[in-house]
Amino acid sequence: MHEVGIAHSIVEAVRTEMKSYPAAKPVKVTVAIGAMSGVDKDSLSFGFEAITRGTPFENMILAIEDAPADELELKHLELEEP
Amino acid sequence: MSGTTTVNLERKVLSENDRLAAELRGEFARHGIFCLNLISSPGSGKTALLERTLASFPKDKRVAVLTGDIQTDADARRLARYGFPVRQITTAGACHLDARMIVRALEGWDLATLDTLFIENVGNLVCPTSYDLGEAAKVVLLSVPEGEEKPLKYPGIFFKSKLMILTKVDLLPYVPFRLDDAIANARSVQPGIEIIQVSTTTGAGMDDWLKWLERRGPEGRSGSAPSQSRL
Repeated sequence: MHEVGIAHSIVEAVRTEMKSYPAAKPVKVTVAIGAMSGVDKDSLSFGFEAITRGTPFENMILAIEDAPADELELKHLELEEP
Repeated sequence: MSGTTTVNLERKVLSENDRLAAELRGEFARHGIFCLNLISSPGSGKTALLERTLASFPKDKRVAVLTGDIQTDADARRLARYGFPVRQITTAGACHLDARMIVRALEGWDLATLDTLFIENVGNLVCPTSYDLGEAAKVVLLSVPEGEEKPLKYPGIFFKSKLMILTKVDLLPYVPFRLDDAIANARSVQPGIEIIQVSTTTGAGMDDWLKWLERRGPEGRSGSAPSQSRL
């Protein structure tokens, strides 16, 4: 199960992005996953929950959209600004 | 200003892996190396195929092997008997190889001495699918005892592979494997996939595989033979 590794890559991307918005809170990150990507959506959600528990990303929602073929892309990040 | 902001990310989840893979692909092209990423379930015969392949090469063949496993260097020891450079990558739990592991494993090797590099991935039909290793092509192995439905059950890797090698075909008389269905299933997932049938026990089909290497090598070495998914 490599979905935990994929989840780590997503969290890292969010962490990097948040440097540009130091006061904001990440609310939702959206990824697009194709059926040929080799990534299982349920496993990814499970892994994402497990690795974000007890971190500043604990309440961030992972939204997963369907995508064509082997696509595995970060789409967008929703932030709450103070 | 308070409220919700949406930031467009629009990049690959594995962009860091892909960056390293692109560097590797550049290195391979610069040195004229044909790199193949061999992927299959555990026990489909990746190591046996490589053993028979290495045994058939002349001693001055400029070939090397990286072999990945979760534990043990058993495969590297098996493959080292043929006199070519072999390195074991032990992932200590990870179910796939990633580009960084390849970068590390190649450290200290003079790539100028090679023209062919086989990467034997960790035995797993799912996880290695997602990770580009800079290879010219992914090659998926499907052994006859596994059943003809594998390409439908695990479509990702068959979709991304340029070549499917049906292994252990000497067992065809003894197991209920519908060869035509296996081929049709693979082509339904990836119409462009090439298919070779091999038995490393009898040697049947080895010539087809070696000829495929000769035929595909030159375009692979120039960096012009991308993985199936990018064709």
